[in-house]
Amino acid sequence: MAETEEEVDVLVQRVVKDITNAFKRNPNIDECGVIPCPEARYNRSPIVLVENKLGVESWCVKFLLPYVHNKLLLYRQRKHWLDREALMDITCTLLLLNPDFTTAWNVRKELLQSGVLHPEKDLYLGKLALSKFPKSPETWIHRRMLDKSTKQQQQQQHYGETEQAGAERSQQLSDQLARTLHQEMKVCSDAACRYPSNYNAWSHRIWVLQHMAKGNIKVFHDELSSMRLWVSMHVSDHSGFHYRQFLLKELSTELSQTSACIPTIMTSPQHQSSTVPSSCSHNHSHTQANGELPGAEAAEDERQLGFHTVFQLFHEEMELCSDLIQSFPGHETLWSHRRHVFYLWHNLRKEHQQHCSINGGIMSGHPKDSDLCLPDGDAQSCAVRGESVNGQRQASEPMEVDGASLPEPCDSKRLKRGVLLPGPPALPSEHSFVSGVLDRCSNPEQRRFALAYKKWLDTVIGQQP
Amino acid sequence: MATQVKDVIIKPDAPSALLLEKHADYIAAYGSKKDDYEYTLSEYLRMSGIYWGLTVMDLMGQLPRMNRQEIIDFIRACQHECGGISASIGHDPHLLYTLSAVQILCLYDSVDAIDVDKVVEYVKGLQQENGSFAGDKWGEIDTRFSFCAVATLALLGKMDRINIDKAVEFVSSCMNFDGGFGCRPGSESHAGQIYCCTGFLALTGQLHLVNADLLGWWLCERQLLSGGLNGRPEKLPDVCYSWWVLASLKIIGRIHWIDKAKLRAFILACQDEETGGFADRPGDMVDPFHTLFGVAGLSLLGDERIKPVNPVLCMPEDVLQRIGLQVDLLS
Ligand SMILES: [Zn+2]
Repeated sequence: MAETEEEVDVLVQRVVKDITNAFKRNPNIDECGVIPCPEARYNRSPIVLVENKLGVESWCVKFLLPYVHNKLLLYRQRKHWLDREALMDITCTLLLLNPDFTTAWNVRKELLQSGVLHPEKDLYLGKLALSKFPKSPETWIHRRMLDKSTKQQQQQQHYGETEQAGAERSQQLSDQLARTLHQEMKVCSDAACRYPSNYNAWSHRIWVLQHMAKGNIKVFHDELSSMRLWVSMHVSDHSGFHYRQFLLKELSTELSQTSACIPTIMTSPQHQSSTVPSSCSHNHSHTQANGELPGAEAAEDERQLGFHTVFQLFHEEMELCSDLIQSFPGHETLWSHRRHVFYLWHNLRKEHQQHCSINGGIMSGHPKDSDLCLPDGDAQSCAVRGESVNGQRQASEPMEVDGASLPEPCDSKRLKRGVLLPGPPALPSEHSFVSGVLDRCSNPEQRRFALAYKKWLDTVIGQQP
Repeated sequence: MATQVKDVIIKPDAPSALLLEKHADYIAAYGSKKDDYEYTLSEYLRMSGIYWGLTVMDLMGQLPRMNRQEIIDFIRACQHECGGISASIGHDPHLLYTLSAVQILCLYDSVDAIDVDKVVEYVKGLQQENGSFAGDKWGEIDTRFSFCAVATLALLGKMDRINIDKAVEFVSSCMNFDGGFGCRPGSESHAGQIYCCTGFLALTGQLHLVNADLLGWWLCERQLLSGGLNGRPEKLPDVCYSWWVLASLKIIGRIHWIDKAKLRAFILACQDEETGGFADRPGDMVDPFHTLFGVAGLSLLGDERIKPVNPVLCMPEDVLQRIGLQVDLLS
């Protein structure tokens, strides 16, 4: 057993090398962990590589961590010299064992800045650290720094080129951004699965969209579609549902301003990804609409179409929420989601009514204080919808997400609703939803949440000006 | 599918009396018997660890048991050229540990041990164009850092050195529909972030921006049947979240909206009768972090054996009186 200082020295240097070599031998390592093993086994390295999993035997961690930790701090105080190779090896080992050691990430940030370390390498290291510590705030912070510099670099490359070369390259650049985006979403999903309501993972996901896909309706809509199944299987994950609220809010803001991308969304609501071109961000050109818009010059029509898409999104979200509340009674997260979605919808509707009362749009025939606001029978809006909602599933079809069916709701709400066109949530329908739950459900938690929701409707929504 | 209620059950034999002497012994001995491994694992937050330990000792009237000079020397050694202070020697400076260091020095009435002007410059330098604060020179943005910045400057009496209007604008942009706050605009409400943001608004005199009834409602919904509070829906109750929620309620003048007796019982049940100290939940391992927030929570609940604690800065009120800092709360 290594006990003297020199022995520990030799042991640790060997282990650090073993870890480095393991990564060289297998560049596809996708998970790291500590293997419970209180005793050293002689003549065997404590670093174990099984398929794509890297394990460190627990007995050596108590030597390894203090050693690399102190080495790095001595370097930081300029009391001990380490070359770049050694710095990279030591910080890698350190961060896999203790990913919240901020200063070790900072050393790597400096290596990145000086160009000796490639950002891809650190995105990978971060991913590995998150496989064992999915919450680690410092690992997420480091990722954001990497993502920011990747984006800046791309922009700089772009600016530095002649117009023609720039145009040739722009596709490639956006491909690279799309790849980064995809990679970040994957890392967030993995971390979200490893730890429930993982605040750092979900707020990172939001940050990534805000910084890499701002205004890109397609990306936001794809996210909304692809998260549907996930939240249905994680009905307690408040962060996952908050993410949907964020997406809905962004989508409703964007769609209310423009409808340039709506046809692509509307024609393939359940089949996201790959089928549609990915570059419709903020492209307000009318040609994007592929002639699907009648009288495309009418900006007001586009605007109305935007609102109808938003109606549709909110309708689907409330349907999903109702189904989940009834299938999984007693989950506070679902009721909290309902509040947020209804609140968003309620405010949007108010804004829309204001807009229409000025411009004489589709809402004009309806009293301002009416709750039943979607003009199902309104000729003008049907004309718009008829052209664009083709292929859209009806509210009465069973819910399907990527071929997987959700649990059927335990009542016949859908049949009772029985209308062909989606009705958006409104106060009376919310009250009857609550009464329905209270009438049928004896689960005390469910009843408590239903009553709290009712009280919230009465006070927060009911008392709004 | 059966509902799993996410809460704990407090056993009948759980501690129900406050074991102050045990807690003081636990903190006084903490650190002296730590092995290398444990020490290195948490060294990246050492300065905050010291703040937790010293503050809880002061709240219990036991501060003289700690080694004042050694701690002040340590802090001095952690101040960097840029003015910022690090968690420990050889670590990089950060706003989080700059605040902890200033809090400790206020407890000891010796802020002059460090270069205060440089601290102020450091904090000022981290403010961004949109009013937010980066945690360090690498630029991460979080409402926690907005709180750290104004709390540090408030304790040093230098709040006027930053752009307060802009700072307030940023924090306000992180407010959510439920009245709560997240780490950045669009982020989920979280009790820890709400504490930072309401504390920030208290220090900057902007609590009128909070929808106190709405936020109070959300905060009260954090109380579970066990009496403990969680930080977000469907999370387990936790002593540290109990503090953040309770302190936020106190700041916005709604502390009477929760069941104080049940919360007190929950916090007391998180004590370890043998070792002293508090854990996050009954039966778990104790640590100085939860020990501070357990004791501070009991103070806010009115326990007279503990000094009154300030809900914004989590420091004894008498310390703030001494340095002449008064923070107005909502009533
Ligand atoms: Zn805790």
